[in-house]
Amino acid sequence: MKFVNLLKKELSELINAQMIIGLIVSLSLFWLMGNVMQSVTEELAEDSRNTNVYVCDMDDSDVTHDLIKDMESNGAAVNKVTVNGEDYAAALKDKDYKSFVVLPKGFGDTVKSGKKPEILSITKVKSASAFSGMTGGTDTAEALINKYLSVELSKQQGVSEEELKNIESELSVVSHTVVADKSAKISSGAIIGKITSQNLILPIIIMVLILMTSQSLIASISNEKIDKTLETLLSAPVSRGSVITAKMLAAAIVALINAGVMMFGFSAYSKGMTGAVTSDLNVDGILQDNLTTDQAFRQLGLNLGVTDYLLVGVQLFITIMICLAISIILGALVNDSKSAQTMLLPIMMMVMIPWFVSMFTDVNSLPMVPRIIVYAIPFTHTFTSIPNLMFGNTAEFWIGMVYQIVVFAIVMFFALRLFKSDKILTMSLNFGQKSRFKKSGKTNED
Amino acid sequence: MANVLEVKELSKQYSKVLAADKVSFEIAEGEIFALIGPNGAGKTTTIRMISTLLQPTSGDAVVAGHSILKEPEKVRESITYLPDEAGAYKHMTGVKYLRFMAGLFTSDIEKLNAYVERAKNICGLGERLNDKIGSYSRGMIRKLLLARAVMTKPKLAILDEPTSGLDVLNAIEIRKTIKKLAAEEGMSFLLSSHNMLEIEFVSDRVGIISKGHLMVTGTTAELKERYSAPNLEEVFERVVKENEVR
Repeated sequence: MKFVNLLKKELSELINAQMIIGLIVSLSLFWLMGNVMQSVTEELAEDSRNTNVYVCDMDDSDVTHDLIKDMESNGAAVNKVTVNGEDYAAALKDKDYKSFVVLPKGFGDTVKSGKKPEILSITKVKSASAFSGMTGGTDTAEALINKYLSVELSKQQGVSEEELKNIESELSVVSHTVVADKSAKISSGAIIGKITSQNLILPIIIMVLILMTSQSLIASISNEKIDKTLETLLSAPVSRGSVITAKMLAAAIVALINAGVMMFGFSAYSKGMTGAVTSDLNVDGILQDNLTTDQAFRQLGLNLGVTDYLLVGVQLFITIMICLAISIILGALVNDSKSAQTMLLPIMMMVMIPWFVSMFTDVNSLPMVPRIIVYAIPFTHTFTSIPNLMFGNTAEFWIGMVYQIVVFAIVMFFALRLFKSDKILTMSLNFGQKSRFKKSGKTNED
Repeated sequence: MANVLEVKELSKQYSKVLAADKVSFEIAEGEIFALIGPNGAGKTTTIRMISTLLQPTSGDAVVAGHSILKEPEKVRESITYLPDEAGAYKHMTGVKYLRFMAGLFTSDIEKLNAYVERAKNICGLGERLNDKIGSYSRGMIRKLLLARAVMTKPKLAILDEPTSGLDVLNAIEIRKTIKKLAAEEGMSFLLSSHNMLEIEFVSDRVGIISKGHLMVTGTTAELKERYSAPNLEEVFERVVKENEVR
């Protein structure tokens, strides 16, 4: 009985409205993540069983006609693509497919002469997310062409079916990647790989920056409230504006120092990691006579200039300001050390969601509701800023920045009003419980 | 003597509670005025309004000629406030804390040094001032905070429960310091306390507040005579109970 009494007391302390809200938030987060992953996996599954094949028949010969018939007889729905010269980007502009195969001139003659023919694989990359370079339709096309060639060349050379199984690919694929209105002779995998390795650090820095800044400011305000040093400070002949500006600036400086150190550490770490990965995959070796990734980056316009980096810097600054403004409000709600820890949760959610989503997929490819939720989070636009600038989505970049400025102005307005009002001393997040001040017998109304 | 503080019908309405209802009193130069009342009576709310921390719902208070509504920054130059159970920055040493707080009152380095020296003498913490505040006892922190509150020679020092939680010896020392500063330097004090013995010993005049109303003000002797009570504690009890009956 005594133990039950003790247990009831412990449970009543632990199971409170804060915990329930935490659970609801976690459930919502999982729901959102589930939606994101479902859309990604559906896209992957659809891509893997994609029988919609896009082919540009530049050779227009008996062999290519026969090949296309063979592909259709194998269950593929072959769609014809027209390309003007080598303008592959124009062929993919405003189309719902993002890759196709080109059967170049002389393809049929090469096959007839018993040599290994070449085809071109064209892929459009729209974002830097892990699955943005999916080319299911093209893979199907390549497999079917390869199968056709194996049979045809085997017939020519009198190879038996048993021997045929041991024959390696008869097809040589030259990959082209399209970004916006530019294309380069390189595989989309190499481009995505390079972008991923380059952008590995930035999201982590953004996360550290946001979490560190919030944590410092929330702790700074809540400690002053809990220790009652805030009352002393606010009764001194200094304006409340100065007090809060000093706190915001200090939090931002500390966060920047932390971010700088993290950036240095992670750049050393990722250099080691990506170096090893690149040499393992022999990416440059695969390129052979193709472009190097650096050359391809330049050709595709993926390299960021000084102005781009300045814009990213400005956006990071706005992000920190939003985060500081939110932290002032959260810090003001704290009335004990327990609630101080909980206060970081909303910021954590607002960082984790866009980070997770932008890592796996393009936000635009999400279903409507999750997409609106993710875009409503102001930090999303920070995570998507570099990919937007890289892929020439300047309109999206500017819309994101304007949205962040509007969010900052609104949150800062409320934060300053709060800090300059009585509420900074009287407000607390009690969820119906008595505040620490009331419990101690010293009420706010005393 | 001129009044350092004139409180004129100060009221504060929280969402459901009228914490202070037209509270009026004044404090003369060099006077120690104690505001006493049960928990939740409105003492801290009144003190916080005078300290410009809370905005009154109605009424005004004038500190050294400056209105808390119209010139709150001027008011803050004339007062210091020591909240109940106040802490200090634990990562700082005593001296650093005093320098930091002095720096909020003046940018003149000579004045700042003079304030710190004065605080050092008043708190009597000696070499311990070079230690981190985190290592101080409650009594030491209270002495440091009291020294901080009076180092700038404010026209009005507002002390909420200045000796709460202290042992007898530390409490006596703090009371003596308050009396000495009022008598020798003409500093005015607005105190709040639950300790009637302390109030009888230290204050020149007393105001008893209950349910937001300032029921009565006067010297301890006047109040004892008016209520035919042997001590302030009985006066307090009668005043508060009378208000509850009403």
